[in-house]
Amino acid sequence: MMRKILLLSVLAFIAFSTTSCVSTNQLYSWYNYEDVVYTYNKKPSDKQLAKVIEQYRTVIEKQHGTRATVPPGLYAEYGFLLCKTGKKEEGIRYMKQEIALYPESEIYISRIIKQLEK
Amino acid sequence: MKNIITILAVAAMFVSCGSTASFTTLADKYPGMYEEQPVSIVIMPPINQTNHAEAKDYFYTTLYTPLCEKGYYVYSPYLTMELFQQESAYDSELFIEGDLSKFREVLGADAAMFTVIKDWRRNNIGGALTVDIQYLLRSTKTGQTLYSREGTITVDTSINTGAGGWIGMLADMAATAVSTAATDKVVAGRRCNVYVLSDLPAGKYSGLFGKDQKKAAGKEHVTATVR
Repeated sequence: MMRKILLLSVLAFIAFSTTSCVSTNQLYSWYNYEDVVYTYNKKPSDKQLAKVIEQYRTVIEKQHGTRATVPPGLYAEYGFLLCKTGKKEEGIRYMKQEIALYPESEIYISRIIKQLEK
Repeated sequence: MKNIITILAVAAMFVSCGSTASFTTLADKYPGMYEEQPVSIVIMPPINQTNHAEAKDYFYTTLYTPLCEKGYYVYSPYLTMELFQQESAYDSELFIEGDLSKFREVLGADAAMFTVIKDWRRNNIGGALTVDIQYLLRSTKTGQTLYSREGTITVDTSINTGAGGWIGMLADMAATAVSTAATDKVVAGRRCNVYVLSDLPAGKYSGLFGKDQKKAAGKEHVTATVR
């Protein structure tokens, strides 16, 4: 009985300490975005490229945050990466999706698209 | 025994977020944020005042996700970095007090987030890393400073040496959450962001947008040791 109470208390404490400061109501699901993208940009390689593309696809396709939509800049980043790795048409399509989802990005993203289309 | 456990658990609930014994509200402290209601933010390359040359690079991209989570449209730093380098604007020193209208014109940004890395040093004996970073959000429309706060955060990296019990368990959980690919240098910057940006009023995409004016503002200079 005593052990049970102790165990419950510890579990309750862990639950409190992990939820009270860090909000569980995240707007977006990021998965390992920060680490994977940082590592790729630091040392680009074919192996890392595959990982980074997979990461972008996950963030784009599986959003469980409160906004249930793709985070700002993500479509643009993924589109730009596709363009740089030879998939220009598909990349530009993603960049246009960024503008559609976030109209405030239009000035900047359409400037990049123009440069890429040259 | 049962009582002690209950008291401990209740106490833990109260202390876990730290106290903000201040009666200044966010609206009092950052009126410009509520007047201008910026939607989009461009992250400026950090200004590095330390001898640790790599700090700028480590820190630059860490601001992106926390600002998105605050409800702002944030220009991807991986994209703007290229622009800044092409336009020789990689040195934010040139802009921190200057005219920002160019960023409004070229990017459409409402505000620019400047950071000044004042300290970034490792204490080899204790295995701790201390960072001191100042954050400054300036309007590209009026040039006024909308948000300004500083953080001195020490990351104690000596934790996973068999602390055992639930303390060790929590620490391990935290360490696991931060992927192994990241160096602790990046982690220090990220922790500092969490503390310092906690007072930033919520942006358009947050559920708290326009609802946090009366929230108590924290100290202007946040100091903390995290594990």
